[in-house]
Amino acid sequence: MLIEQSAYANRWRTVAPDAKGLFALGGLVAAFAAAGRLEAALAVTAAVVAATVLGARVPLGLYLRVAFPALLFLAVSALSLALSVDRAPGDGLGVHVTGAGLDQVSRVTGRSLAGLAALLFLVLTTPLTDLIVLARRLRTPEVLLDIMVLCYRTLFVFSGALHDMRTAQAARLGYANSRLTFRALGDLTANLTLQIWQRAHALHQAALARNSDGPLRFLPTPHPHARRHTLLGGLAGALLAALGGLLAHGGAV
Amino acid sequence: MEGFLPVAHAVGWSIASAPFVAWGIRSVNRRIRANPEQRMLLGVAAAFTFVLSALKLPSVTGSCSHPTGTGLGAILFGPAAMAPIGAVVLLFQALLLAHGGLTTLGANIFSMAVVGPFAAWGVFRLAQALKLPFALGIFLAASLADLLTYVTTSVQLALAFPDPVGGFTASFLKFAGIFAVAQVPLAISEGLLTVVIFNALARFNPQELRDMRVLGTPEAKA
Repeated sequence: MLIEQSAYANRWRTVAPDAKGLFALGGLVAAFAAAGRLEAALAVTAAVVAATVLGARVPLGLYLRVAFPALLFLAVSALSLALSVDRAPGDGLGVHVTGAGLDQVSRVTGRSLAGLAALLFLVLTTPLTDLIVLARRLRTPEVLLDIMVLCYRTLFVFSGALHDMRTAQAARLGYANSRLTFRALGDLTANLTLQIWQRAHALHQAALARNSDGPLRFLPTPHPHARRHTLLGGLAGALLAALGGLLAHGGAV
Repeated sequence: MEGFLPVAHAVGWSIASAPFVAWGIRSVNRRIRANPEQRMLLGVAAAFTFVLSALKLPSVTGSCSHPTGTGLGAILFGPAAMAPIGAVVLLFQALLLAHGGLTTLGANIFSMAVVGPFAAWGVFRLAQALKLPFALGIFLAASLADLLTYVTTSVQLALAFPDPVGGFTASFLKFAGIFAVAQVPLAISEGLLTVVIFNALARFNPQELRDMRVLGTPEAKA
């Protein structure tokens, strides 16, 4: 996963997740505050992308590859929002592009680009394990945290099992035509479904052998200078949110 | 995607989803107290659902898409457990794949982790009550769950972005029409795939399905 690679290899890997979370929150607030004016939203987007690419040194190529599917979705959605369908004066349906529709596209595009930049800043600079620790500090229900921890630790095992089974099936012409593909996918998923019980039972036995008394807790990664970073992240996030609001309400870009 | 919905809609759908997730968490906590192994089972099931959503499924139109897995999960684990599991899977899709987003999480949970699983579970139980064939019940549950998920998404988009000329109805028809091109064939494909999965499970591991109360207990024969 490209996001995981970047989260563990960027320059701000050791910065406290609270600081990066506050900056991303500022970016999201700015995205909504600046949505009324496309130039303002684009300025917020540029500031957050610059922080990610220049500050955290996330490679630009990787950044664009991660952002591409979301940008494609935005392009298709913007097209469908721009077009209005109604009854034409004669018979049949008419397709129009209206001013109100274009205004809507401008607002949605600006908000989505800035929001996407804020989300990518957070996920490309912060490993999921740090985000789970942050979620625990924010008093997320224990059972949700347990599902998150187990899901994260098991999904790579499942991905590996899926890859191996698929390779074995493909080597035996399991995907040679669409009828065989359906059958192979059904067998593969059924086999994977059975592993839910097998793996859960094995994990439970392993936890019992280690005197588990319920919730799964792990030592968090220490973050040097966490207080200073959190203060800086909070200030930068607040500045970003204020910038978004100011630019949207008449300031020059 | 992140930031796509206006703030009032993002907050509104989060508030609408919250009671279902809270009820799901209470239900899961009860299950874990009764059987501690369920803690591991639900976490592993979430990973399975995440991996399943990355699987490429051939559509009957010849294109490819990804299964939602809501029907399969709801029939196996029940709709209450699917709300917290679905919430975690959708959060992970945002954090690990940048699919969806944090501000759209509430709306996505409502359509994919609430409406879809409840529809699947309701249709499956109704099919059992009507004594329809097992495979037909599974097919209808998985397909209709898929379709209702995307009907809900169309309603959410139409409420957020009413058409400047035709209002909510025109907008709903526009979004539902766009989704229908991809989702109707996908729903049929996912229904067929879910039948193949349950056939394989019933053939090789019927005990697990009986434990999850998907299959009835075999009648004693003289």
